[in-house]
Amino acid sequence: MNFKRTSTTIFLDPSFEAKVEYAKGEKLNVILSPSLYWVKKIALPVKSVREAKKLLASIFEDSLPEGHYSYTAYKSGDEFLVFAYEDKKILSLLNAKGISTVDIRSIHFAQNEFSTLEGAIKINATQSMYLKDEVLVLAPSSWISESKDLDLATLELSKRTIKLQQFGHIVDNKSLYKIGAILVILALVLMVEIFVASSKKDAIVMLKDEVFSKYKLQSTMFQNRSTKSKYKNIHKTQTKLRQYISYFLTMKLKKTQKITLIEYKSKVLYVTIDGTSKGHERSITSQLDAKGVKYKVSYSGESMKVEMKI
Amino acid sequence: MNQINPLQIGALLVVVIAFLFFKLHGVKSELVEATTSYKQSEKLAVEVSSLKAVYANKKKTKNAINRILAQGSLRTAALDVKRNKKSIKISSKSIETKALNSLMGKILNGSYNITTLKIKRLSETKASLDMEIQW
Repeated sequence: MNFKRTSTTIFLDPSFEAKVEYAKGEKLNVILSPSLYWVKKIALPVKSVREAKKLLASIFEDSLPEGHYSYTAYKSGDEFLVFAYEDKKILSLLNAKGISTVDIRSIHFAQNEFSTLEGAIKINATQSMYLKDEVLVLAPSSWISESKDLDLATLELSKRTIKLQQFGHIVDNKSLYKIGAILVILALVLMVEIFVASSKKDAIVMLKDEVFSKYKLQSTMFQNRSTKSKYKNIHKTQTKLRQYISYFLTMKLKKTQKITLIEYKSKVLYVTIDGTSKGHERSITSQLDAKGVKYKVSYSGESMKVEMKI
Repeated sequence: MNQINPLQIGALLVVVIAFLFFKLHGVKSELVEATTSYKQSEKLAVEVSSLKAVYANKKKTKNAINRILAQGSLRTAALDVKRNKKSIKISSKSIETKALNSLMGKILNGSYNITTLKIKRLSETKASLDMEIQW
């Protein structure tokens, strides 16, 4: 089985109106017509292409119409060939020709592919291209006495290719990297925060477990709350019992009045005071009222029985 | 030459960040919940522990009552003391009021769980006593 896809070379020029026909799965090598880019051959005070690329925007600054341009450069002897092109314009043209970017293997400048051109080549009904001072230029065919036809079948393509920025017109690369970097940093910060918060939570859960074992608590909070409620009730009842008993032990009684019984059972306190007939209990009840004690009074002869719920 | 739309990458990053924010919110809520739960548990533990130390410490309560009963003023009083697993019962058919005052002063000023109490005046100097303390 042969997995290698076949490829076809096409020459892309805005004057070609017909759609490009190619088989499904076939890959295209695209050569850009000189009308799709700007080129200059210049000497620059730098040695490498990488350094030269940093200067390209300023080199073309005043010579290009308004638009969003990409730049590239190649070494040509002691000089540099510098290019400016509009990705969006080329992509639109490819789209208009029915070429999907997925099917493109490589994109070349005609300048690089016809650098050894001798004479002129006719690229459409009215225009031809030829080398002038090592720069490939377009001219009306009527100016040129003899033009060859364009033959791509025998052309050997160079390795000098470009990649079109499909979305360069939406946002430029620098801004894109900045926004991307900010978002990535934000994501990292959030991840660190999640990790820190999660670690803190785990540490607190461990501390909680330690509290349970240190204080020998029961396994559930419900059980522990129930235990607390039970002992709080005991504490409340015992405090109240002592308080009520102290009220009676410190109570001012008449000489004839004597406490004969103090009884506490089933959370009820009974106090029996002898020498107090019905209608003469005011001196006792007024003292209880002043303390805010709720009580019931019953009589048996000269005995007064005070009943209080604890 | 198939390139990824930077807007798609941006959207993906925004979705990831939104997810991380959501996750962070969840983890922080869990942290607040865990902290609150820990504080509640600690507070509850201290309360339960101190209440149990007062009202459910059998050994401590028994020893304290034994010390009270061993006092000189009560040694001569005819006190009937019955101990079982959950409580101690102290009774006397006739006890001097002085001894009774001494006993009750110590019991009422201590933190004991008195479940039943009956003090009956018999005369100017005598009384009867029935008391049960639980732990």
